Amino acid sequence: MTQTTKVREGEIWAVGGGKGGTGKTFITSSIGTYLAKKGKNVVLVDMDIGGANLHSFFGISRPLKSLTSFFEMGASLSDLVVKTDLDNISLISGDVHSISADKITFSQKLKLFRQIMKLNAQNVIIDLGAGSHYNTLDTFLIADRMVVVLVPEVIAIENMYHFIKNSLFRKVKKILKEYGFKEIVQHIWDRRQSYGINNIRELIDYLKDSFSYIGTILDHELAAFKVHLVLNMVRNNNDILLGASIKSVMMKYLGVPIQYSGYVEYNDAVWKSVRERKPFMINYLATGCAKEIEVLVENVIKGKEVSLPGGY
Amino acid sequence: MPKDELKKYYDMLELPSDAPLRDIHNSFLRLKKLYSGDSIVLAPLGEEFSEKKRKRVLEQIEEAYLKLLEAKKDAPSRTALLFSDGHEPEDGAERDKIGDAPLTGPSLRKLREKAGVDLNEIAKEMKLRMELLKSVEDEKYEALPEAIYLKVHLKNYASFLGLDPVRVTEEYLRRYQAWKEKTVPTEK
Repeated sequence: MTQTTKVREGEIWAVGGGKGGTGKTFITSSIGTYLAKKGKNVVLVDMDIGGANLHSFFGISRPLKSLTSFFEMGASLSDLVVKTDLDNISLISGDVHSISADKITFSQKLKLFRQIMKLNAQNVIIDLGAGSHYNTLDTFLIADRMVVVLVPEVIAIENMYHFIKNSLFRKVKKILKEYGFKEIVQHIWDRRQSYGINNIRELIDYLKDSFSYIGTILDHELAAFKVHLVLNMVRNNNDILLGASIKSVMMKYLGVPIQYSGYVEYNDAVWKSVRERKPFMINYLATGCAKEIEVLVENVIKGKEVSLPGGY
Repeated sequence: MPKDELKKYYDMLELPSDAPLRDIHNSFLRLKKLYSGDSIVLAPLGEEFSEKKRKRVLEQIEEAYLKLLEAKKDAPSRTALLFSDGHEPEDGAERDKIGDAPLTGPSLRKLREKAGVDLNEIAKEMKLRMELLKSVEDEKYEALPEAIYLKVHLKNYASFLGLDPVRVTEEYLRRYQAWKEKTVPTEK
């Protein structure tokens, strides 16, 4: 499978991060709302299968169409797009009860990716839902803009590391598969102790050292592996600084460059609306978060980062 | 120092290669704190990364900091206060024994002068009025802004000189507050 062959000009964003309850759906909706306000034609795709609630953010309580038809009846993705009350935003609901993310077959997955890429939109934004299942990771990897959302707490950070490490591992495997080294990565990883390999970075270094011409390929392909970090529900400057710390640790320990693209302050109104499943995206621009979302989206697009508080 | 070696040190402190001295100080302080302790950012990586690795990163950060200070010819080399673990910079420079004596305005001035830093330089870099910095060193408290602003200025001043900003702000503000409590009620 070649992920790089794009059939259209649009841009795909994916929002993941491992842990549930960090606000991925909120961030997905907000990014979409901001881009739509800028005049982009946006389609949101809810891949949080089994826990889908993206539609309720837009006041749709029971979507008439959902991914169920895609998985069970072979419906085309573009026929499942539902309009919202906001200009420029439509969505595909993941309100699927008969299937779970890990039951999606390989061919279904490929078909899904093909059709996501063909959706008629300038921006497709995918809400990945929780977890690090390989189907979730693969969806993450098709995106042009990979965004991880976390909250300032240790479990979320742990899950996020896991999510990024596994995404990277999967990416390395995919790259080498295309060059005919299908089994070698897993083979070495499974025996990593005898190779003296402790982590994904050391695996990549080992591969580069052992097969010199792989090195160039990996360097080239992995240069595109750019993850954008978003900290949600921050309450103070220390929370904001955590993003910089995570970036530092990812680079110094894993050699994985990540971009600290933005943060969103904890906001009681948002939290309540989410819990009560209120259609608050319609009034969203009135909340204090709108400005922070604007900054983070612009940062992602321009490759800029958060300016740290307190002179750091 | 060769350019690519210099870049390596800037990378280590996660800075662009044209970063001013103040950023070098601040970045160093931030990273030193991060890799010194049990941050919630490090904890989840515990199994994959040893204590040895953490210490190695810390050493590299300290090395990068010293090399960059050295590279900035006119930069102050007063770093003794920052190395709380007893690790001494190896530049051989004679250092001030500040010890436990409280830092006063005049002692801050002494440190600055020994570091060969002009007040003008700090004022320019920090975008502050010379007069204000002078008042800090003269302990001309009545000319200083409210504690909340003063704290920020002191922090920047300390960072610029490579002094521990926490200690400098705490000790200075303690004296400032004591003066304030003494003067305000007696005002007629």
